[in-house]
Amino acid sequence: MSIAAATSLDLTESPTTNGRLSVIQLFNVCKSYGREQRALDGVNLKIPKGDFVYITGPSGAGKSTLLKLFYGGEKPSRGQILVNGMNVTRMGGARIAQLRRRIGIVFQDFKLLSSRTVFENVAFPLEVQGRKRYEISKKVFQVLKHVGLEHALQKTPLALSGGEQQRVAIARALVVDPLVLIADEPTGNLDQEVSLEIMELFRTANARGSTVILATHDRGMISRFPRRQVILEQGRLAGDIDSSGVDRLQEAGVA
Amino acid sequence: MSFLEGKIYFVRRALRNMRQSPFLCVAATGTVAVALSLLALFAVIVFNIQQVTSRWSQEIQVIAYFDEAPQGETLRQWQEKIEAYDAVSDVLFVSSEEAFSRFRERLGQDADLLDGLPVEVLPGSFEIRLHPKERSRAGVAKVVEALGQDVPAADLRYGQDWLERFESLLVLMKMFGAILGGFLLFATLFIVANTIRLTLYTRRDELEVMSLVGATPLFIKLPFLFEGALQGLCGGGLALLSTFLLHAFFLRRGLADLLLATGGEQVLFLPLNAQIALLLAGTLLGFFGSLFSLRQLVRV
Repeated sequence: MSIAAATSLDLTESPTTNGRLSVIQLFNVCKSYGREQRALDGVNLKIPKGDFVYITGPSGAGKSTLLKLFYGGEKPSRGQILVNGMNVTRMGGARIAQLRRRIGIVFQDFKLLSSRTVFENVAFPLEVQGRKRYEISKKVFQVLKHVGLEHALQKTPLALSGGEQQRVAIARALVVDPLVLIADEPTGNLDQEVSLEIMELFRTANARGSTVILATHDRGMISRFPRRQVILEQGRLAGDIDSSGVDRLQEAGVA
Repeated sequence: MSFLEGKIYFVRRALRNMRQSPFLCVAATGTVAVALSLLALFAVIVFNIQQVTSRWSQEIQVIAYFDEAPQGETLRQWQEKIEAYDAVSDVLFVSSEEAFSRFRERLGQDADLLDGLPVEVLPGSFEIRLHPKERSRAGVAKVVEALGQDVPAADLRYGQDWLERFESLLVLMKMFGAILGGFLLFATLFIVANTIRLTLYTRRDELEVMSLVGATPLFIKLPFLFEGALQGLCGGGLALLSTFLLHAFFLRRGLADLLLATGGEQVLFLPLNAQIALLLAGTLLGFFGSLFSLRQLVRV
């Protein structure tokens, strides 16, 4: 599949960046809502496996839209997107579902099911995959222990603080050992101290092998945990700064 | 997950959904019940009108009156000849005497009016009954035409005017029933689909999360389809029960008066196949109502 998709795109480069395999590749991706509104405009991007990338930029720059394209939440108006070598633009519902089983997604508003317990929320992705019950219990407990919420198994999300709810959401994303962990402003609703704890969880996930893509406009957080930054402005790629502060886009003479 | 485990899982999830939002569950079931009750009541009324009209149509017959009634061998020959017509089921000869005594019976208390009149004042006749299929204007016309050739002396009576009006009434009723029934069915479908859409709308968070964690569209939809079908079945059952009670306590008497049914004729409830159809209609309404709403809400 990856070879077929790659040849059809007429790629002259290999799907690797600095010798590492790219887990996400975007080729001249545009996304419009309606006729005039262009959320993304000609975005080219490669994210190598195991990378930790911030997507930054002002509100309305297209950060959330870009993340949605990664997990098939939106289809691009133009261009191609490969995730783990598969062309997302051509996938139907069932295959998108299969793809999402390998992607963990975390939102600013947590998106937990308030009618279910913490355990049930975290178990949900595994349940959907049809895993065995004892396997689910074991895995969910491990992950909840990892995020420090093993005591809250039977509570409902509304009985928890914001930071705890976000940790449940992260546990839900981590429970499938995701290839890619995508987070849209995960600390947007949380205070500084709690945000640091949450960031620590993302760092650990990255250290364990997951590629982490995190949309944020929290400059403080980025300077505290410096990593590659992809900067969007009005739907265009305005900068691609690596963790040592060098803008690769400027180096390449694109921006 | 094995096939059976999978089935049990979906049923369990559907039942849990219903337990978690009992109000919505009752609302959806209730809507199906009310909408189908309307349809069922309409069906009861139409069904009974049909019963009455089919009884009326049994009375469609041709009577041949004779100024001078045939006798002996001629009578037998004519009777046999008429009985041989395709459309005719049986022929009954009513002599002047019989006609006179029937008339006397019908007059009841006023029978003394007939005192002193000779028996021959009423003519002898053939009462020609038709096969059920032929009890229509066309059937009667066929018999009348044949009789005109074979029994020229007879004066034929078959209620032409009444027959024409009866037939146009039947056509009108069928048309009215089909149009009204069609409207009711559409209204039912519309109301049920919208109620189900509302109940699903309150669960859109769950639908969204399911899709985000990699549930296939079918996996998301199955429990809701099962739930819809189950609620539809319950709604159909409730509609059947409420229609039965309404029929037993109100309709039976009310309709009897309206349809001028006499004591011996019962106002009937829906026949068994219509009852089963009602339950099935509820189930299908719930199922398809959910299906259409899900198609709009579950976009992966």
